[in-house]
Amino acid sequence: MIGERTRIALLLAPALAVILVLFGGGLYAALLQSLGYFPAIGMTEPGLDAYRAVLTSPDFLNSLALTVYVAGASTAISTVLAVLLALALRRAPGRISTALFQLPVTVPHLVAAVGVALVVTQTGLGARIAAALGLIGEPADFPALLYDRYSAGIILTYVWKETPFIALIVLAALRGVASELEEVAQTLGANAWQRFWYVIFPAIYPAVVAASLVVFAFTFGAFEIPFLLGQDYPTMLPVTAYREYRSIDLSARPAAMAINVILALLTALFAAAYLRLSRELRRG
Amino acid sequence: MSTRLELRDISHRYRTGERAVSHLTLTAGPGELVALLGPSGCGKTTVLKIIAGLLRPTAGAVLADGNDMTGVPPERRRVAMVFQKPLLFPHLSVAANVGFGLRMRGMGRRETGRRVEQALRQVRMEGFADRRPEELSGGQQQRVALARALVTEPRLLLLDEPFSALDANLREEMRELTKHLHATGDFTTLLVTHDQGEAVSLAERIALLLDGRLQMYDTPEAFYNRPVNRRVAEFFGATNFLEGRISDGAAETPLGRLKLAAPVPPGSATLTIRPEAVRLEAGENSFPARILSAAYLGTQVLYTLEAGSVRLRAAVPPHVKLGVGQRVSARLPAESLWAFSE
Repeated sequence: MIGERTRIALLLAPALAVILVLFGGGLYAALLQSLGYFPAIGMTEPGLDAYRAVLTSPDFLNSLALTVYVAGASTAISTVLAVLLALALRRAPGRISTALFQLPVTVPHLVAAVGVALVVTQTGLGARIAAALGLIGEPADFPALLYDRYSAGIILTYVWKETPFIALIVLAALRGVASELEEVAQTLGANAWQRFWYVIFPAIYPAVVAASLVVFAFTFGAFEIPFLLGQDYPTMLPVTAYREYRSIDLSARPAAMAINVILALLTALFAAAYLRLSRELRRG
Repeated sequence: MSTRLELRDISHRYRTGERAVSHLTLTAGPGELVALLGPSGCGKTTVLKIIAGLLRPTAGAVLADGNDMTGVPPERRRVAMVFQKPLLFPHLSVAANVGFGLRMRGMGRRETGRRVEQALRQVRMEGFADRRPEELSGGQQQRVALARALVTEPRLLLLDEPFSALDANLREEMRELTKHLHATGDFTTLLVTHDQGEAVSLAERIALLLDGRLQMYDTPEAFYNRPVNRRVAEFFGATNFLEGRISDGAAETPLGRLKLAAPVPPGSATLTIRPEAVRLEAGENSFPARILSAAYLGTQVLYTLEAGSVRLRAAVPPHVKLGVGQRVSARLPAESLWAFSE
């Protein structure tokens, strides 16, 4: 007779093996290379040179600053919009409105990026409509939202994709106990703003923080959208790492891997924060 | 200041089209304790939410001291409500929960603190001010919820089955507390309950709702002795019913001609009598019967009697010992016999 724990472990083994070999193996190789152990090009003396170089390089710091800015702005805007959206939708009985706002969740990030690009380039749909409506003189007057220094295109795509994701989680929290507590507050004389600030917000706060942590961690480490819609310099960390990795100069490899390891560590940190929070959430 | 509450021809339909309440008209005098009684799903909570302003009735009006409140939002009605679940704000301490309504009205910290302390003392929870809601038992939470409602000095207190989730002892204690708070406070109370015992022991008047319709609105005693129809009588545990025709203050029934004390209009009617009122003796309104079964209930014995095609129940003191099959005389005293035409 095998115990329940062993049984679960055995059942999970095939999936875990794939994750361990592909993901763990990759991470292990990256760690070795970032430490300067790369026998293929004759590097066998491990050390922290790559980290030292990366962490003091202005390119990396610019890249890190941009990444924090894009991830932070995307998360902040998405969170505020998501809370407003959830508040507006929570009493909506119609399934259509709910289904409609969930649509972006199912669209892959790549497709979203292409869609946003088609609409907001200076030759795109948005520019032509604005010109046709007489809002701007000609399509080229449309503000540059792609490949720009403010990364507007990237942030826009993330906001479009992640707002419904956060809203879904917030909506679940709102439909739970929050509506009953709101009725209590109402009979105790609280007006709409007081009800939001003193009752609803504290009730959904953990869900809001947990959902935005997930979004922050994702936008921090995601590659495809900044790669497609971002400017040439500085680039966000995942793109920087990719470029270093693709460099003809193989000696740039440890630097690329160091960036990756740093990215992985930071993401792990966000994940740990999320796990801790969700555990507290479940405890109520 | 307690309020005179008036419900005028209230009807409510859910979004699904289902009728929750039909043409409810009801008045509760200032300072009165009225129970809204009915089985679950009969529309009681809907009525309470309409009074609180949490629901807008499809038709009809809610009046407080003669003023139409129908369009007034809940936060401006000075109507406090205690729900079935305590629903304390989980992120606030007991004291902050109780002080919530006062803070929302902009009362200063010191005055709020003083009143919170007083309210907690009223519900005997004075030592718990700094606790978190999850540290309290269900009964304690419900007492805090009661204090939270009362501290706002409502003119009308709505109680939505606030004791139903508690165990029997605690329920009794909470009823006593509610009765005491109502007697010492200055507010009108409307209690929703499905428990007729609770309604009878607490309320001055009971409004019985069945299928969203008001069946009877009267004192607890009237529900036992003068029910208006068979469903009301059955809801209050009546089991003895007799068909008859009324003429000249008496009813022609399968048991013979039975005299009635209360005036009843002539025509066909249903007669009812509580089992406790049936006498096993000869005299006016008596007839021969046979004992079909006996159930010993401790403080009384419940006999099922058979007289011709009629079966009746009689509850008598336990010292009267009769055997199954035994022939007896049964008497239905005129003053306990009640008739209603349907």
